[in-house]
Amino acid sequence: GRGGARGGSNVVVEPHRHAGVFIAKGKEQLLVTKNLVPGEAVYGEKRVSVDGPDGTKTEYRVWNPFRSKLAAGILGGLDEIFISPGKKVLYLGAASGTSVSHVADVVGPEGIVYAVEFSHRSGRDLINMAKKRTNVIPIVEDARHPNKYRMLLSMVDVIFADVAQPDQARIVALNAHHFLKNGGHAVISIKANCIDSTAPAEVVFASEVKKLQEEMFKPLEQLTLEPYERDHAIVLAQYKRHAGA
Amino acid sequence: MATHILFESASGLAVFNVVQVEEIGAKTKEVQESIQDLSKFSRMVSLKSFSPFKSAADALQNINDISEGVVNDTLKGLLELNLASTSKKSKVVLGVSDRFLAAAISSELSISCDNSERSLELIRGIRLHAEKLLKGLQEGDVKKAQLGLGHSYSRAKVKFNVNRSDNMII
Repeated sequence: GRGGARGGSNVVVEPHRHAGVFIAKGKEQLLVTKNLVPGEAVYGEKRVSVDGPDGTKTEYRVWNPFRSKLAAGILGGLDEIFISPGKKVLYLGAASGTSVSHVADVVGPEGIVYAVEFSHRSGRDLINMAKKRTNVIPIVEDARHPNKYRMLLSMVDVIFADVAQPDQARIVALNAHHFLKNGGHAVISIKANCIDSTAPAEVVFASEVKKLQEEMFKPLEQLTLEPYERDHAIVLAQYKRHAGA
Repeated sequence: MATHILFESASGLAVFNVVQVEEIGAKTKEVQESIQDLSKFSRMVSLKSFSPFKSAADALQNINDISEGVVNDTLKGLLELNLASTSKKSKVVLGVSDRFLAAAISSELSISCDNSERSLELIRGIRLHAEKLLKGLQEGDVKKAQLGLGHSYSRAKVKFNVNRSDNMII
């Protein structure tokens, strides 16, 4: 469509402090990622094309913080996201792959996103998205049973989880014990009322962090996703399979 | 303790010899660093046999069987060829990632299996260095195989859902 027509000389794209993420500065400031498949949108998102100094065009896709927890976390000011060009990411709860497509843009052609989604309906969309983005490996399987998809994975640098299940911490830990490098990181989106709808959100976040600590994770940062999501937090942690520093 | 390790990848099935390293199960910084260092890890395990899949269809059949804990002919052949002959001289214990597959191998092939932390630690190490350890693979081969198999495995999952409805998570 006409989504790419808004760029030109009015918009300047600058790198965000997180490598692989960019900010488009025009009338407003937008979070964007460099489109791995120029000329195509994945889910109807806006695109911005900018002219390089040598006449080349680069296309970026607008990353909507209301549709992606990671985008919300970045705009909310996360210190680190650990997802950057060349990284291997295990993405649990990939859904239809809208947010995954941006993570694929961030890690770029040298990186890999292993995208796990159990729902067959969403899985179809995920597979279709991955046909164009060859750094995405679609895995339609239950993230509670990492052994079922062990043949498809290498060791990864980061686990991103947005599974909205009461036993989310356990799911992340199981996957980490199989696939997360020692010293690697977890970026976990926690929706409080998916875990316990009766307790206050802060209490739920604290108890999830405690569960992670019992599974060899060292918590690094916690951020609520207001104003983009209510009673959501992103927790960042480092995986350490040994005691001490 | 495992004397051998079964490693299942998108490219094929492999059996590794384990050089006895007692302390591998200990979660110390030194052990973790040795696993991360390929030159040190190569002294803990060595490739005994790698059996690459013959085709995409062969790979799909294998991942379907292995993820369901089924000992198929490919796996049976690999294990009998590599582990049966040595079993008389010394006791063979095979480290296996999945305890259901481990139980199936024990009962069908009479090979002792081990699913302990120590075996899982070695499997983590093999997974980390797989491209270097599996003979005949070039850089990028692992990713290519994972990509092809990820698509065919997932496509089959979605296709064979006869109800065409969603699997609800309660």
